[in-house]
Amino acid sequence: MSLASSENPPEKLRWPGRLGAFFQQRLGLDSLAALAAKKHVPVHRTTLFYFLGGMALFLFGVQVATGILLSLYYKPSPDQAFESVRAIMTEVDFGWLFRSIHSWSANLLIGILFLHLLTTYMMRAYRRPREITWMSGVVLLGVFMAFGFSGYLLPWNRLAFFATRVGTAIAGSVPVIGEYALLMARGGADITGDTLARFYALHVVILPLATIGLVGLHLFLVQKHGISIPQRVIRKHGGEERVPYMPFVPHFLLRDMVGWYLALGILAALAALFPWELGQKADPFGSAPAGIKPEWYFLFMFQALKQLPAQLWGIEWLEGEVVGVLFFGFCGLVVLLVPYVDFGASRGRPRWILNFLAALAVGFFIFMTAWGLR
Amino acid sequence: MLTLVVGTCLPVVLATAMASAATAAEPKTQAAPAPPGPNNCILCHGDKDLWEGEKAKLLVTEADLAGDIHWQSGMRCQDCHGGNPRAEDIKQAPHAAEDGFRKVASPKDVPEFCGKCHADIEYMRRYRPSPRTDQLAEYWTSDHGHQLKTAGDLKVATCISCHDRPHGSGAERHTHGVRPVSDPASLVYRTRVAKTCSTCHSDKKLMAGRQYHGHPLPCNQYDEWTQSVHGKAMLDKGDLSAPTCNNCHGNHGAVPPQVDSVANACGACHGKVAKLFAGTRMRHKFDLVGLPGCATCHGSHEIHQPSDAMLGMQSGAVCVRCHEQGKFGATLAGAATARKLRADLERLKSGIEQAQDTLSEAEQLGMEVSQPQFTLRKASDALTNARSLIHAFQPDPVEKALAGGQEVVAEVQQHADHALAEHRTRRIWLAASLAPILLVILLLLLYIRSLPAATGGVE
Repeated sequence: MSLASSENPPEKLRWPGRLGAFFQQRLGLDSLAALAAKKHVPVHRTTLFYFLGGMALFLFGVQVATGILLSLYYKPSPDQAFESVRAIMTEVDFGWLFRSIHSWSANLLIGILFLHLLTTYMMRAYRRPREITWMSGVVLLGVFMAFGFSGYLLPWNRLAFFATRVGTAIAGSVPVIGEYALLMARGGADITGDTLARFYALHVVILPLATIGLVGLHLFLVQKHGISIPQRVIRKHGGEERVPYMPFVPHFLLRDMVGWYLALGILAALAALFPWELGQKADPFGSAPAGIKPEWYFLFMFQALKQLPAQLWGIEWLEGEVVGVLFFGFCGLVVLLVPYVDFGASRGRPRWILNFLAALAVGFFIFMTAWGLR
Repeated sequence: MLTLVVGTCLPVVLATAMASAATAAEPKTQAAPAPPGPNNCILCHGDKDLWEGEKAKLLVTEADLAGDIHWQSGMRCQDCHGGNPRAEDIKQAPHAAEDGFRKVASPKDVPEFCGKCHADIEYMRRYRPSPRTDQLAEYWTSDHGHQLKTAGDLKVATCISCHDRPHGSGAERHTHGVRPVSDPASLVYRTRVAKTCSTCHSDKKLMAGRQYHGHPLPCNQYDEWTQSVHGKAMLDKGDLSAPTCNNCHGNHGAVPPQVDSVANACGACHGKVAKLFAGTRMRHKFDLVGLPGCATCHGSHEIHQPSDAMLGMQSGAVCVRCHEQGKFGATLAGAATARKLRADLERLKSGIEQAQDTLSEAEQLGMEVSQPQFTLRKASDALTNARSLIHAFQPDPVEKALAGGQEVVAEVQQHADHALAEHRTRRIWLAASLAPILLVILLLLLYIRSLPAATGGVE
């Protein structure tokens, strides 16, 4: 008997049951339960990759929770930002834990998102009708990288200050809109308190709102189109309907939870054993520290741009940095539009060229990042 | 050496001094340089074929003159030397006395030659709003000036010994071009002063037999200075504020500082220490027995970086020199004080090092210790202050400064220890929190195992 369908809960139920019935009646939870009961997850050799999305969602939740706690003490002004973060690290109860988890979790999240993007690409899960799911995911990756970039400046330490100066200057080299974008980002000609205020607003208001909308759209589309199954698996089983599956609830959800607990333990260990360092307070008039580097997920671009000469082939108007920035912008656009670049999608066949490009991109990313970290 | 120092600075002095002397000799203000006209002096004096051997010193080319501040200011040969620059032939007597030709027959003539303009305030004001015109007067007060005037020593430095050497030969010769002191090519640019002084003062032959107040002049001052903390600062580190010869000896009026004025010479830069020393009984005793102030412990030209090893009664300490055997009336009580101050200094140093080590360890473990690290600088400041206060030769101010440093060290050490303890606590709590997490994971896995396996394809 469905409790939700009943207008009056049976009187024989005790208080926990009656409480459940109370919410089911008012929130319609039984329809959600029915939806969950119908949801299946294909089981095959690469099912493990399906957990990456859930892991990213969990880490996002960690970010929201720890971010809210940090915002209770953080003061977004050049005079107080560094001191407030130091107070969080040294005076606020468990402040060091929340800040370290926030920082570590942000980096793990970006890493998980990269993997999620790569595995989705390799499984061709972007093909019709999931083009918008893919694109919303790519945009979400961009949003989370923007989270990282804006959050990096907030402690107002020396390294972040100068890295942000370099980073925004690179963005400013984009033709036509670069100068405008630079002024928009910095709120002036240089990194100042205005920049900090903008980055803070971006980090705690604009990007979270965008994320909520995009995550909502992404999850809705995942729910609507179901989980994609690689063509290879479908062919092996002789049709999509013949591929083995497990119920989402409880089978997949419980496995998801194992991953989440594991991630929680890893985050706790990282925070306790390797607390996120604070560095020295930024001094706008001081000299830039040697070896300025952005966060690891921007390092491949930074390192590549560093290798480009001021002028390509000695042509005065062909500035190396501008060409590099445009190249990476073009690459980002190609990744966004992958569903429409994959011309073999209509025949449902894998294309070796796509695998080759992916391998090339991953190799480039790893090589440049390792080079930059050296 | 001092004579050499003076010599180094003489060129400048001379230029100015000459002007002063000229003013004395000719009360009337001189005319401005004549407007440019034919300058036939170069026709002869710039011809290398005409000036060989002994006469080579009279060779002056326009290339030589290009760097000369006078030439650059529009002055020409006749403005210093007089004569008739328009004479086209030597027979026209360009060097006639009636044309005002001024012969420099001997080094003795040089100071007044330059001083003609450089001691004339009204003349010099044409080139600079507030020029110095006291160089000539200063020169005659220098030991160089005295030797030149009273002993007729023609080998002492005059203006051109330091500012220019137009009539020398080989390495001795410098172009006929006096450069401003601020010009790095000038012989008296800050980094070149000592070398210029050493041209004479390191010359054993030249210094042989020369004395100052009955003491023979040494020849090793330059070598000692290059090994000193001052010389290294200037020559190795390029620190233009480091003292060179003229900072202690003066330039145009160069003389060695007297015994009772050494502390004042050092105090020109080391003001705090000099002020502390000036009010001490030690200063009074030094004066009584004729010890040269700061130089007694720190030396004169070869002044090394002071170290704590100088304090105390152990081997190598400077206090030992007098206090061990009661020399100059030094007391044993002073020796005890020196020992105690040294021990206290070492204690603070060791405390700072230990606190720094602990902070570094905590920092390497990722603990946030930037604030205590900043605070620890106060202890280092206290240590530096105590080292300065030693020159007051009173134990109380030193002890007070050291005690302040110890308080800071104790506070920082407490923070550092707390940081390490917290790191240990975090690891314990990590283990404590990982245990339930792992337990939940284990239970979840067990529960998952109890669930039915994957179902076949959807019908």
